[in-house]
Amino acid sequence: MPDPAKLELLTQTPGEAGFQIVEIDSSRAFWAFKPQRLPSTEWQLTPQPVGADGARNYILNNLRHDRYLLLNSKEHFLWNYFDGRHSLEEIARAFYLSVGAFDYSIIRQLLTKLYHCGLLEGRHAMDLQPSHPAAIDDRWTDRIGRRLMTWRRISLRISNADRYCSIIYDHGGFLLFHPLTFWLSTAVAILALALAVRLTPNAHDFTYFVTARPFLITSAMLATLLVASMLHVLVHALACKSYGRRVREIGFFLLQGVWPTFYADVTDIFMSSRRARVTVDLAGPMVEVVLGSVAILAAHASNPGIGQALLLGAGVMLWESAVINLYPFNFLEMDGYNILSDSLAMPMLRQQALALIPNLPRRLRSVRTIDRAEWIQIGYLVLCLASVLVYLIAHLDVISALYRSSWR
Amino acid sequence: MHNVPDFLQNVALFQDLASADLSTLAGLLVSKKVSAGSVIFRELDDSDALYLLETGQVVISKHVHGQVDIVLTRFYSGDFFGEMGLFDAAPRSATAHTEVDSSLWRLDRKAFQQIFSDHPEIAARICYRLVTVFIERLRATNEQAREAIRWGLEATGYSPTDHPLFGRKST
Repeated sequence: MPDPAKLELLTQTPGEAGFQIVEIDSSRAFWAFKPQRLPSTEWQLTPQPVGADGARNYILNNLRHDRYLLLNSKEHFLWNYFDGRHSLEEIARAFYLSVGAFDYSIIRQLLTKLYHCGLLEGRHAMDLQPSHPAAIDDRWTDRIGRRLMTWRRISLRISNADRYCSIIYDHGGFLLFHPLTFWLSTAVAILALALAVRLTPNAHDFTYFVTARPFLITSAMLATLLVASMLHVLVHALACKSYGRRVREIGFFLLQGVWPTFYADVTDIFMSSRRARVTVDLAGPMVEVVLGSVAILAAHASNPGIGQALLLGAGVMLWESAVINLYPFNFLEMDGYNILSDSLAMPMLRQQALALIPNLPRRLRSVRTIDRAEWIQIGYLVLCLASVLVYLIAHLDVISALYRSSWR
Repeated sequence: MHNVPDFLQNVALFQDLASADLSTLAGLLVSKKVSAGSVIFRELDDSDALYLLETGQVVISKHVHGQVDIVLTRFYSGDFFGEMGLFDAAPRSATAHTEVDSSLWRLDRKAFQQIFSDHPEIAARICYRLVTVFIERLRATNEQAREAIRWGLEATGYSPTDHPLFGRKST
């Protein structure tokens, strides 16, 4: 950390000869700084429900730049004081009197967040990009890092997604969110499950056709999955529209930098209720449930053969996809995780849990000091780890079975 | 009586001149004594001379607001300042105060123009050295601008670090 920057000022007193020179360093000026948030017409603050950890979060939306921030209760306290009338020193004192303790880094972190989100006056600085001398930037590790970042950022976006979604919603999309649609879908799903059990003996047909016509079957399955994924995302977006919120974008990206995935950015749903968020989360997997169920019903109505095998295979695959999507404990932010975090009103559960890992041994040595939020995070970690282990063990069994059969 | 040529030999601006040239130049300089805390020239004053600082200390500042100036730089014995006044009739861009009792020599624009017409080879050597000094001062100004911006960023808590924004991408 470099020394604070210094400014020398030459000041004069009216009516007096001579002058004084005063040196002011930036750290002194920092505490006298009076942060000024944007006018209230340019942002929207929505309190979130009290979480299972007993804390309340807030979502702050920069309406001009369409950027969102999550504030915890301490940051929300500070935000209320960023009115241009209170210096940081006064704010820090008020915070100390209110909370009883104060970590000065909270103010710096919040300022960084707010500048980055363009929520403070002087926001012209928000788009400054760090620059480094060329010699430092040219190291091979930096070059590899940049390539990886470029790869991870590969994405495709539909601009005006909100407009397209509004048109689809107004021209019949709204019917998807009628209560009758939900009950009808549930009835179809139950019927399909019952019929799938009856069709189980036909499953060996599917295995037969996979080996007999691998290209056709695989292509059909992939195409089905692709279409279902696109519809899944579209229905998330339409659910967001059904609550009158905006769809920021629809697109394609690499989940965790690896897995090609379609997405709908429905961040604006955080300005609505918890029920709305859970509905949006559930709407996507319902596509796979309905399509899978229809495929199974069609398979049941079909004569045995490649058509029936394809329909049954697609139905089972879509149902599996829905179940995997709805399972919350896999370290991924899929719909099931979103439902969990929304239900608990802990939107950063996964990130907090992962951040806890390095400190976990130390925290577990003093169990009594572990608070409610940390217990929830530990619970999430344990269930995720257990799920991954079960998944691996189950598949190791399949792999070993394949290995044995290949040597017979 | 000051030994003007001896002092001039220590002035960076004239380091390329021979003794005879310095003697010629000395006849064009005007001596000036200024007490501590005095103003040599103010920002927006008429600009028509360069100053050589024989002894003392001068602070150059630029008005910010009210009674407050920002200090741009300081000059010490052997330095020169106000060189823009030799070439440019625009008003002074900054104010010069003496921080301690100081002894100065003034070279008027008219006298400098006289050197140009009567002794072009001396003028050329002075101009070459001036360009070198301008470059040094430009570099210093860039550094100062960087420090001023750093000060502003630090004082307002601004950090260019990217902070992840909140968002939900439903997949």
